[in-house]
Amino acid sequence: MAKLYRSREGQVTAVDTKSQLTTLGSETAPGPLLVPSSIRTLKAIIAVFATDSSVAADGNIIVRIEGPGLPEGPETIAIGSHGVAVATGGHGSRSAKRFELDIPVTSGNEILIFAENVGEDVGTETVGVTLEFV
Amino acid sequence: MARTITVEGDVNAVDTRVLLTGQGSVSAPSLVVPAGMTKIKKIIMTAAADGLAAGEAVCFIRLGGNAVLGGEQTIMFGGEDSATVQAGSDAAPSLGSLFMIDDADIDVRPVDTISIAGEFAGVDVGDTAFAVTLIYGK
Repeated sequence: MAKLYRSREGQVTAVDTKSQLTTLGSETAPGPLLVPSSIRTLKAIIAVFATDSSVAADGNIIVRIEGPGLPEGPETIAIGSHGVAVATGGHGSRSAKRFELDIPVTSGNEILIFAENVGEDVGTETVGVTLEFV
Repeated sequence: MARTITVEGDVNAVDTRVLLTGQGSVSAPSLVVPAGMTKIKKIIMTAAADGLAAGEAVCFIRLGGNAVLGGEQTIMFGGEDSATVQAGSDAAPSLGSLFMIDDADIDVRPVDTISIAGEFAGVDVGDTAFAVTLIYGK
């Protein structure tokens, strides 16, 4: 069966604070991310983040997936880290990473995606996550 | 057997869907899925930003059009960030990121048109340039 790709993004502005990713660029209200019909597995997630480096600090970014679309319960994945010595200049470029998971899902039900900055506050981050269903 | 299509374009505003329709010296490459090709097997995505605005954004593509059988597919592939330097200072270059999906497995209808759009979301980091290659197969 072919794969289906569904994405959300959003901002994280405070440390140790769970922030739901609910938008998708030009789509400000894409609605709930539902497991598509006939889909049984979350094969992988693709995740990436960017930070404004506005604080000289170091921290990690984790993604949480939750909701009734995950019959086995919530999952948490560390997707990357960031640190900077000064907050007065810098320019970064990052590749997304694909995390193979193989998690059962329930079609027609919602999956909520959250991101969180843990460790020290590294400023404002934008986090993007794609769910790869099969 | 595989066939490829590469498109590129500038994406210069945040939260704006931009169709990628150019290919450098070829201004309008065909976006028709080649005959006999029924899947997108692999996807290569890359973007670079000039960092002229202080912000942070994630980059993604939208694959749509009549040829994509499962509806629009959205895929995150990169992040760009910039803390603009102090006046008079120099900034180091930032190498654009590249992300490849080796087993994309997206169903397409041959001899129908695909649309490939790029977008960045978050806080504007200046101008960006996107390039995307689709590798078709059966």
